[in-house]
Amino acid sequence: MTSTFYGLEIAKRGMFTQQSALSTTAHNIANANTPGYSRQRVNFVQTTPYPTVSKNSPVIPGQMGTGVEAGTVQRVREDFLDVQYRSENNKLGYWDSRANALEKMEEIMNEPSDSGLSITLDRFWQSLQDLAVNPTNAGARSVVRERGIAVAETFNYLSTSLKSIQGDLKNELDVTVKEINSLASQINNINKQISEIEPHGYLPNDLYDERDRLIDQLSSLANVKVTSNPSGGNALAIAEGSLTVEIVDDNGNSLGTLVDAKNKKVNELTVGYKKDSGLVETVSIGQKTLGVLEFNSTGKISSLIDSYGYTYESGTSIFEKGLFPDMLGNIDTMAFEFATKFNEAHKEGWSIEDYNSKTHTPVDFFAFGEDGLTDSKGAAELIKISQDIINSTDHIAAALPNADGEVAIGDSQNASKLADVKNKTFSIDGNTTSFQNYYESIIGGMAVDAQEAERLTANSGVLKDAVDVRRQSVSAVSLDEEMTNMIQFQHAYNASARMITMQDEILDRIINGMGLSGR
Amino acid sequence: MRVTQGMLATNSLRHLSQSYSNMGKYQDQLATGKKINRPSDDPVVAIKGMYYRTNLTEVEQYKRNLSEGYQWMESSESGIEHATQVIQRVRELVVQGSNGSNSPEDLKAIGVEIGQLKEDLANVANTQVAGRYIFNGTKTDSAPVTIDDSGITVDMNTDAFKVEVSNGVKLKVNINPTNVFGSELFNTLQSIEDALNSGSIESGDEFLSKIDEHFDVMSAERSEIGARYNRLEMIDTRIQDQEIIASRILSENEDADIEKVITDLTIQESIHRASLAVSSKIIQPSLIDFLR
Repeated sequence: MTSTFYGLEIAKRGMFTQQSALSTTAHNIANANTPGYSRQRVNFVQTTPYPTVSKNSPVIPGQMGTGVEAGTVQRVREDFLDVQYRSENNKLGYWDSRANALEKMEEIMNEPSDSGLSITLDRFWQSLQDLAVNPTNAGARSVVRERGIAVAETFNYLSTSLKSIQGDLKNELDVTVKEINSLASQINNINKQISEIEPHGYLPNDLYDERDRLIDQLSSLANVKVTSNPSGGNALAIAEGSLTVEIVDDNGNSLGTLVDAKNKKVNELTVGYKKDSGLVETVSIGQKTLGVLEFNSTGKISSLIDSYGYTYESGTSIFEKGLFPDMLGNIDTMAFEFATKFNEAHKEGWSIEDYNSKTHTPVDFFAFGEDGLTDSKGAAELIKISQDIINSTDHIAAALPNADGEVAIGDSQNASKLADVKNKTFSIDGNTTSFQNYYESIIGGMAVDAQEAERLTANSGVLKDAVDVRRQSVSAVSLDEEMTNMIQFQHAYNASARMITMQDEILDRIINGMGLSGR
Repeated sequence: MRVTQGMLATNSLRHLSQSYSNMGKYQDQLATGKKINRPSDDPVVAIKGMYYRTNLTEVEQYKRNLSEGYQWMESSESGIEHATQVIQRVRELVVQGSNGSNSPEDLKAIGVEIGQLKEDLANVANTQVAGRYIFNGTKTDSAPVTIDDSGITVDMNTDAFKVEVSNGVKLKVNINPTNVFGSELFNTLQSIEDALNSGSIESGDEFLSKIDEHFDVMSAERSEIGARYNRLEMIDTRIQDQEIIASRILSENEDADIEKVITDLTIQESIHRASLAVSSKIIQPSLIDFLR
């Protein structure tokens, strides 16, 4: 036989438990629009039945249920979807940043248009053609000079603009590194809090959510792998523990530990720049320093390194790679080779000055600053019209000597040759091509790169969204569901209360209605 | 699959923003009239666009060069024609002078006319087009023939003046001036003039055959430039065709098909409206609206 108040206890527990479920429902509804919130569920457990099995247990017919209690309050979440989400988010971070960098590059190159390098070269070519049919005309000469200046200025503009965007990318890279380190230290702080709560048998659901949110953010910046480190003590089996965050390469191998759960510390990520070129040379995680090539990991940080440019040594050579260094290199090569080939052709010709003085004094048409250049590096930024040509258009060499070695002022064979430079085939940067085609291939390469980046941004965006939908399907709050639950819990609460009324009536019967006979 | 309000809202937003981005694309195409706005929209179109633009610029330039070519050739030809007429007149005068019925005064008068014709010829040889002497090879800055008290001095350059009229094709647009205005011609005229002035023209037949020789050479030069002129016209026709083709290809390559874009935009607009309507219907009601 159970105690008199047995039923009251069951009903009371029922009311408490339903009430806690209602509170959790309220919490869920309140957080329906909180980003990263996982709905919570009260795990109802039956309390230990009476009597418990023991030597002195009373003999009654069967074990009686003693009611319900709230076991744990658990968040509803699927870890596997987090892994998938972060992997897609990581790729999105990489491609989105790359697409942005290329978009800016495309805007600077501005092709095809009526104001790009291509049309400027075309106009220069036209002016040389006009000179070829009109070699003695001072106007035609001036136009050649002005169009030549336009060519040089377009190269200058492209080079300085690309460099300025490259500078912006460096700032973005530094900011991103700071962001990663800030996220890492926030995760570390939450790790600390969690490891203080879990050993007491609690589940800090809201901290879990917060931490997952931070890791989601981090995943777009760097490719991370997360492993759990149990808290110990009286931690529940479903407790998530502290999380170690490692940065991994494309094959999933660890490159270094960013957040160390065991020692509760953060190893800061730092980017090392090479002194002379300013390009990225190393990436360090804590004390561990990696060459930039070893840091083959996706995410925004790698994308920024790829775009901004990196440098490495192989054998005795130093390589400088990356979207912007490559483009600058191409423009430099083109400016250098074009100027060199043009100058070569120009020096063969006779100018009006030569004709008047009867001596052939070859002059350059294009020049690279005061000191000149020995290789193409910096050519696009430095290229200008040579001082001789600035001084007088009479220095433009349009004529060539005839078969007898005589030079006529109206001869324009060299002007034709100069015009030919644009379309003539040379060996440029190891490829046999014309300047026209070389430039087209540069723009084509950039366009294909940008298209790929945009396509993959869209693709990884779609995949990320798809995983996110599945994740939300599991974890997001459905108001309809919460309302249904609310009604359900409310009815259970009311029924429990009614049980108390019923018990009250039984007790009233026992106390006030019984044992009155013979009075 | 469990679906929540939040998911519906996110979906609606994603569809709407996708729809906006499509409309933005059509808006760009309509506003610029171009299929693409940046090379990555279509790398092939972009590269071809650059190539065709260059092509078109070249064609335009060759057209400009052609008109220069026409100017040279037409002026040269009219120079030769004039020279031919002069030579014919000289021939008539020589025939007239050598028929034996002329008094020395008559012959002198003829000699004066020959002298005038000679100077006229010298002036034609010094024809200038846009400030350039077209009958002096590439020495376009100086006159090939100088007339002063000592007589006529001929110093001619015979180099070809070439104009590029299509890719790699350089056409000679001047003539060999010695064939028309050479010093031999002036010498012949001078000796005729001298003979007439001296009052007797005994070697009339010799003069006539010399004049005929000059005439032949001149005619040959004239037919040669005629032939080259024909070639120029042929190239001109080809260049004009090329211009039309290049413009058309450039347009086909990168110009937006306005009818198609407007149709697409209209379709997109109705999709957008539907999407808005659906969103407003789906997001509103929840269980809460129906309880109690």
